[in-house]
Amino acid sequence: MGSAILNGILMGSIYGLTAVGLTLIFGVLKVINFAQGAFLMSGLFATYWFVKFTGTNPYLALVVVVPFTYFMGYYIQKFLIKPVFESEKDVREPIGVIIVTTGIWYMLDNLALMLFGAQYRTINVPSVSKAISIFGLYAPLSKIIGFFISITVSGLLFWFLKYSKMGKAIRATSQDREAASLMGINQYKIYNVTFGIGTAICGIAGAVLLPFYYVYPTVGMHLDIMDFVIVVLGGLGSIPGALVGGLIIGLIESVGSQFIAYSWTIEVIYIIFLIILFVKPSGLFGVKGEF
Amino acid sequence: MCKLNWFKFSFSLMLFFFVTLFSGAFVNSANAQKKEVVIGNILPLSGPSASAGVEGKKMREFIVKQFNANGGFECKGELNGAKIKMIYLDTKSNPTVGVTDVQQLINGDNVDLITGAWNSGVTYPASQVAEMHKVPFVVPVSVMDRITGRGFKYLFRIAAKDSWWTRDQFRFIDYLAKKTNKKIKTLGLVYINNDFGKSFDDSWLKLAKQHGYKVILNESYAETATDLTPVVLKIKSAKPQILLVVSDAADAILLQNTMANYDVRPWAVISSGGGQADPAFIKNTGKNADYLFDMSEWAPDMNKPGLKELNKKFKKAYGIDVNGETMDAYVGMHTIIAVLKKTCSTNPDKFRKEMLRSKLSTGPFTVMSYPYVKFDKDGQNVDAGLILVQVRKVGNKYERVTVWPEEDARAGFKVVFPQPNHY
Amino acid sequence: MKFSEKQIKLILLMLSAIVVFLIPVFIKNQGYIQIFIVVMFFMYIATAWNFVGGFAGVLPLGNAAFIAIGAYTSTILFVQYGISPWVGMLAGGIISAIIGIIIGLPTFKLRGAYFALATIAFGEGIKVLFQNIDKIGSVNVGGARGILISYSGDSFANFQWVSRIPYYYIILVMLIILLAITVFLMNSKMGYYLIAGGEDPEAAASLGVNVAKYKLIAMALSAFFTAIAGTFYAQWILYILPKSVGSIDLSFEIAFIAIIGGRGTIIGPILGALLLKPLGELTRTYLGGALPGLHLFILGLILVLVMIYQPRGIQEVLTKIFNRFVKKMVTIKRS
Repeated sequence: MGSAILNGILMGSIYGLTAVGLTLIFGVLKVINFAQGAFLMSGLFATYWFVKFTGTNPYLALVVVVPFTYFMGYYIQKFLIKPVFESEKDVREPIGVIIVTTGIWYMLDNLALMLFGAQYRTINVPSVSKAISIFGLYAPLSKIIGFFISITVSGLLFWFLKYSKMGKAIRATSQDREAASLMGINQYKIYNVTFGIGTAICGIAGAVLLPFYYVYPTVGMHLDIMDFVIVVLGGLGSIPGALVGGLIIGLIESVGSQFIAYSWTIEVIYIIFLIILFVKPSGLFGVKGEF
Repeated sequence: MCKLNWFKFSFSLMLFFFVTLFSGAFVNSANAQKKEVVIGNILPLSGPSASAGVEGKKMREFIVKQFNANGGFECKGELNGAKIKMIYLDTKSNPTVGVTDVQQLINGDNVDLITGAWNSGVTYPASQVAEMHKVPFVVPVSVMDRITGRGFKYLFRIAAKDSWWTRDQFRFIDYLAKKTNKKIKTLGLVYINNDFGKSFDDSWLKLAKQHGYKVILNESYAETATDLTPVVLKIKSAKPQILLVVSDAADAILLQNTMANYDVRPWAVISSGGGQADPAFIKNTGKNADYLFDMSEWAPDMNKPGLKELNKKFKKAYGIDVNGETMDAYVGMHTIIAVLKKTCSTNPDKFRKEMLRSKLSTGPFTVMSYPYVKFDKDGQNVDAGLILVQVRKVGNKYERVTVWPEEDARAGFKVVFPQPNHY
Repeated sequence: MKFSEKQIKLILLMLSAIVVFLIPVFIKNQGYIQIFIVVMFFMYIATAWNFVGGFAGVLPLGNAAFIAIGAYTSTILFVQYGISPWVGMLAGGIISAIIGIIIGLPTFKLRGAYFALATIAFGEGIKVLFQNIDKIGSVNVGGARGILISYSGDSFANFQWVSRIPYYYIILVMLIILLAITVFLMNSKMGYYLIAGGEDPEAAASLGVNVAKYKLIAMALSAFFTAIAGTFYAQWILYILPKSVGSIDLSFEIAFIAIIGGRGTIIGPILGALLLKPLGELTRTYLGGALPGLHLFILGLILVLVMIYQPRGIQEVLTKIFNRFVKKMVTIKRS
């Protein structure tokens, strides 16, 4: 039981990390990024190939994976999403962007299928994959490292948004697009950067997941829906919320399954999700009035 | 906006009309030739089971290429000199797509027979469509019991059905207990929650009662599960002596690695030829899969005449070794060819008659794990045999080593049970 | 002879209706008939989606749940109790409409992204429910195994035929009825209120329109007609599986077809299905075997391109071309 709780917390924080990018992008652009899972897949593949070619540690891959995913996100936003944004500026419920991100998701997934084939790939890092004992509870080192990376990345991001110049500009844009652009902030530049950061976090999540997970072209699909649930639980746009949402999901999955069949836990998650939406749609940490 | 709608509607109907005209033109040019046997193949070429489908396709291409290069059919009758034309359609592992494919093959491409579909969930409804149109459907892989026994006349399954798989799994458990004089009392069942896993679980529960074992864990996980640690922790606390597993694909890797990382080692883990049979499985688990038992219809280490040569040729053409997946395709294609040679006709009733009469054991059929292919009146291959392989270290690599039945076992290898360091 | 624009359009409509009804007479190849059925099936469910997704101005992404409810209701009634699928169809529609209202009550309070996410969770929740439930009392739901409807001979009462042609006419008639209802509704008071509420709920409410009520009615209608398509699907494929009738892929596809075609227009879903489905079938058949994944890549590309260049869907430009064409016809006749 103790191990189940520990696993729930560790997995939950990692789920939270996969959702941080999503919640950031929503907070600023007010767009649900359906390509989230595809970006995660890209991060996983980037890490995988880095480890395969250099033979080093997956955590070292961050040096390459983070810039790669950042620029991927940056330019996808610049060339594919921005045009739709501009044409939908006056539309009350912009859904064109959702469709575009879905199109990007299909393109990325199937590009990976054409390039790398359908087979499953893992990397073997014996030094971190073995479960170790902490006060009699068991968890693999890879997940413990993942936990600390998740907390650190979310903390850094939080700090960056709060204190850095760029971060302040991002927050200003997310609160009021028009006012921000009146103050000389280039709205679309901010969007590009935000999207880049969001996808870069997916890249980090990829490096964290790979040591105990696997990668194949449609791997993101499973995490996609999970991430939607997490961000709404925590409150769309809230970074601590994403982490807390992730923890809740991780705990339900891990601890709940000790009492009911594992295949039922997902149903419990959906029901809790719907209840939260109906009762408190702003989520646990969300800003009021956005839903 | 709304006033125009009628007219927009009419415009769309016009478009519809043009599409029809074009497709009509296609239809007329389609059935020009008839000096060939057209075989429709429905396989998962994209989606979750794509790797299995792609491998099976390679073997089919390999056989047909050779067959056509050698001049096609030589027999007395309408097929003399005819060659085989293969049409491959992707099912994406989706039953709806599979049914649409069969419709398309029968009505659009006028195929003479159909083979496939790998996934039981696709074969089950797709074969019904073929039956409705009296087109023979040869099933090399799908194991779900309910596929045969529906009174179909044109359905033939080469694969063993899942009740035979589970039956032999329990025979094997009995064998283990007897052989090693260990008392086996408790079983754990873990399966993926889909049509494949569910039908295994149903018959395990029945068999456990008959054989007098106690099921202390019966757990399913969703196809979309991202973390199997909770399942592994449940195994860890229940501690069944024998763990029976059905996994589909990637989940097999995840389950095996997670069990190894948490040091969860039952006396034996016996899997059911799903994801564990995929070549990617050993590649991605390696040492973690050590001593795992997997049920299989065939293994490359069996000492069968002609196998080495076949493997050499196939590897030269496609760069991969013959494996269970390609072997299923191999037996399927050769069964079809052998029977068509005898009937020398594409008539479905003649095909059925000959299928039921034949006992195929020579030539290409010597490399199978069982002695012959023969069908009963339900279209089931009656003696499709099964073997157990155990993952073992050979040299510095992990391989699937045949260990049961004893007479088929690889020389120098015996069952290891219980596995070392079990709980 | 002189025709007005309106008359020409009417004539074209009649002509194309005749052609569509005669297709099975001229095309003997049932493989193509099957593709027409697929296309019309998606036209139908996308049109039903459009009640909520188009006119009410929100983005439902869980409509496959209604297909599943319809398919399961009629199939369980038919397989276990021998009740004709035609009756089951109605029962499924009613159950689905009730569930639609129940789920619509709280979800319509949500806006934009939240509504979309709630419907995704609802759709997935229903699928997981069907996957996990084997039996309710003596009712066999089949769980992840699915339910097969055995073929027991051609019969209208049993909604089963070997030939595809009856299915062709059934889905055609269903489509025409649904379109007629849509046209009627959109030209009624309810249609105007619905569109007004979708475009600007506050303004509509301030004018005294009970926006919530009309949205709920739209939801009930959408759920009802979608469920009927579920029964059609079950009898057409003769096998239902939670994964195939309730999948999120299907929910997405329904929405995409309507959006690519042009949401909130009657012609949109028709054009969307006409573009995407045959294209999907052709690329899957001719390219899928050679390079798996290429067909879906192309689909993704189309989604992106259409959204960038034709955000209102392809209906806009096609309607313009059509109107110009009709105008030309008028001038030709006059001269």
